[in-house]
Amino acid sequence: MDRRSALRVLAVPGFAGLSDLGRATGDRLRLGLTAVILADQVAFLSRWARYLSEQAQCEVSFVARESYQTILELLSAGDLDAAWICGYPYVRYQADLELLAVPLYQGNPLYQSYLIGSKAAQVHGWGDLRGKVLAYSDPLSNSGWLVAQAQLAQAGLQARDLKRAFFAHGHRNVAEAVAARLAQAGAIDGYVWETMRLQGMAAVARTEVVWKSAPFGFPPLVVRRGTMGPPAVRLQKALLAMAYDTGGSELLKALNLTGFIAGAPSLFESIRQQARMVPGSGMVA
Amino acid sequence: MLHRLPYRIQIPLGLSLAVLVAAVLVTAVASRTAASAARQETLATLDRAVILLIAQTRPLLAADDTWRVFALLRDTVALIPGAGTDNARVAVLDAQGNVFAASDPARLDTGKPLLGTPLHGQALPQATQVNERRSLDQPDGAVILLDPVRSEDGQTLGFIFLEVDAPVFAPDWEALAQPAMIGMALAVMFLVPIGWWVGQRMTRPVARLAQVIERIGHTDATRLRNEVPQTEDPELSRIGNAVLQLMGELQERQKAEARALSAERLAAVGRMTAAVAHEINNPLAGLLTATQTLRLHGESDSIRERTVDLLDRGLQQIRTTVAALLPQARAEDRPLEPSDLDDVVTLVKTTAIGQGVRLSTQIEIESALRVSSVALRQVMLNLLLNAAKAAGEHGQVEALLKADGERVQFCVTNSGETLTAARFAEILAAESGRDPHGFGLWVCQQLANHYGGGFELDATVLQGTRLLLWVPNRGRQKELG
Repeated sequence: MDRRSALRVLAVPGFAGLSDLGRATGDRLRLGLTAVILADQVAFLSRWARYLSEQAQCEVSFVARESYQTILELLSAGDLDAAWICGYPYVRYQADLELLAVPLYQGNPLYQSYLIGSKAAQVHGWGDLRGKVLAYSDPLSNSGWLVAQAQLAQAGLQARDLKRAFFAHGHRNVAEAVAARLAQAGAIDGYVWETMRLQGMAAVARTEVVWKSAPFGFPPLVVRRGTMGPPAVRLQKALLAMAYDTGGSELLKALNLTGFIAGAPSLFESIRQQARMVPGSGMVA
Repeated sequence: MLHRLPYRIQIPLGLSLAVLVAAVLVTAVASRTAASAARQETLATLDRAVILLIAQTRPLLAADDTWRVFALLRDTVALIPGAGTDNARVAVLDAQGNVFAASDPARLDTGKPLLGTPLHGQALPQATQVNERRSLDQPDGAVILLDPVRSEDGQTLGFIFLEVDAPVFAPDWEALAQPAMIGMALAVMFLVPIGWWVGQRMTRPVARLAQVIERIGHTDATRLRNEVPQTEDPELSRIGNAVLQLMGELQERQKAEARALSAERLAAVGRMTAAVAHEINNPLAGLLTATQTLRLHGESDSIRERTVDLLDRGLQQIRTTVAALLPQARAEDRPLEPSDLDDVVTLVKTTAIGQGVRLSTQIEIESALRVSSVALRQVMLNLLLNAAKAAGEHGQVEALLKADGERVQFCVTNSGETLTAARFAEILAAESGRDPHGFGLWVCQQLANHYGGGFELDATVLQGTRLLLWVPNRGRQKELG
C-alpha cells in the first residue's frame, strides 16, 4: 500500500470521530505499539505489561501492529486506550490526541532520523540516491518517510529520480531490506537502528549510517483527547516512575531508554514545521 | 580361471556370480532411474513452487508491496531445491520485466531489467512474449522458469522468475549409492548363498554320475548300476542312461576278453606241450639207437657200459627238461663237461647218418666250464639237430665248443641253405607257436636270454648257415648247487 492510499484511509470519517469515542474500560488499558520500538519481543512485552499492571493497578496489555495506520484506526475506534505512535501522526492529528508520556532516549526526549546504506551501495548522502532503490518505513513515520521527503527535496531529487521506492512496514524491516540489498538505502529511526546495533542484530552489521538528522521529539505515547481518565493517569504515573525503581529500570534498559516524561506539544514543533514543507504530508504550510 | 575349477564348483560359483552381476546391474539401472526420477521430481517441485508464488504474489503485486514480496520470497525460497546451496533463486518481476523483488537481491538487483535482456549468454524473451509458462532449458542443464502473474481479469501484473542451476539436477550419486549398496549387500547376503545352494543342488546328480563313472571297472557293475542317480531332468536322465549303457557294453567286453584270455591260455598250454614234446623227442632217436646198440653189442662190457651211461645221461636230460617245467620236481644240475658234446653228438648221429650228413666237432677249452650242463646240452642238441636237418642230404655240419674265462660259446655251421637275418628274426619272433620246426631255435634263444648270453646269426657266412650261442662262463650258483 502506498502512502497516498494510506492517507486516504486515515481521512475516512471513522478517524474524524476519534474524539467522540470513549469505550475504554476503567480497569483495563490496551496500549497499541508500532514500529517505533522493536515490538515483536513477546517475552519482554509480557514482562512490561505485568509491571505496568502492577504499578497502574489495572490490567495493561499491549497490542502490536505493523503499521501506524492500523494502530491509529484501532485508537480511533476505541479498541485501544493508548498508543505509542510517531511524532508525525501526533502533530498531524494533534487536535484529537493528547500526550500520555514521552520517552527519554539517552536522557533526552529526542531522537534522530538516519539515512542508512548498504556497505556495497556507495551511498554517502541524499544526493547519491539518484537511480537507487530507497526503502521507507511507514507512510506515517517521521524518520521513515517525512524526513526523507524533506531531504530529497532539499537535495533536488524527486520521486521519479529514484529507481524505486517502497515501504518496508517498519524500521527494522528497513534495516533488513538494505542489508539484503533489496534497497541501496533506507530512511530509518535512529533510536531503532541504535537499539538493533546494541542487540547485535545481523542486519545492522551489513549497513552503515550515511546521514543523521537534527533531533526531533521522540515518538510519544498518546491517548485520545478527553479519555485521560484515572486508569490512564495511573498508567502515566507508572511510566514516569519507571526510572525510579529497579524493575522499571531494567525494562527501560531493555528498551534502550532512560525514562519517561509527561512531555509537551512543543517538543514536536520541528516535525510540524517539516511536515508543512513536504507536499502530501497532510499538513498545510 | 573359472573353467579350471570342477564342474560342481563352476555351476554354484557361476550362479553366485550371476546373482552378483545382476545385483550390480539392477543397482546401476535403479540408480540411473532414480537420478532421472529425481530431475522430474525437482521439476515438479518447481512447478508447485511457481503456482504457490503466483497465488501469493498476486495481491502483493497489485498493492505494489515490494517488501512483502521480498519477505514472501525470502521465507519460501527454502522450499525450492538448490536454494540452500545458492543454486536456485526466485524473483518477482513487474509487468515490464524488471525485478520487483528477489530472494537474493545481491544477484538480482531490485529494478534491474531482466526480460528482453541476455542472461548467461541467452536472451530472455520480452515481457510481451511471456503469455504462459515458459521453461528455458540451459545448455548446461540449468532451468529457467517464467510464468506470468495475472489479475483475475487477465491483466499481467508481473512474472515469476525461477532459476535453478545445473548442479541441482545432477544425480546425487553419494545419496543414491547408500541405498544401492545396502540393496546389493542384502542381495549378496541372501541371494548369493541361495545361488550357491541351488548350484550345488543342480550339480549333485552330475557329481554322483562322475563318481560312478570313475569307479567303472573298479567296482561291481551291478552295485554301480544302483548308484546311478535317478532324476526327472531329461538331460541328466540321458546321461544316466548313457552311463548304464556304457557299463553294460563294458561288461560284455570284459566277458569277451575273459573268453579270449582263456583261449589264449589254452593256446599257450598247447605251445608249451609242443615245446616239451620237442625237447623230449630230440634225444629219443639217439636213445633208441643206444638201446639198439645195447641189444646188438651188449655182451661187450665196454660198449654196454658206455651205452648204459649214454642212456642214463639222455634220460637225465629228459628228466631235467621236464624238471625245468615243473619247479617242484627240479633235479640237480652240474657244470658242463667237454664229454657232454660227445654225448650230444652221439644222440644226433643217428639223425645225421640217416640224412647222410657229415658231422664234425671241435673243442677249444681254455678255462674251466662253469655253465649248466643241462642248458648247454639242450642247446647243443637243438642246434646240432637243426643243423643236421638244415644241411640236407650229404651236407656237412661243423660244431665248435669254445670256452675261455669270460664266456662259453657253441657255434654250429651247416652247409645247407643260407638262413637270412630276416628269416632268423622271423623264426625267433614267431614264438614257435605257429612253426613246430622253429621250437629248437626259440628254446635256444630263451635259454641264452635266461643265462644272460646271446644267440646270433653269423651274417658273414655266405655259403650255408652259422649260428652262434654264447653264455657267460660263470653259471648260476643257485642252479649249479
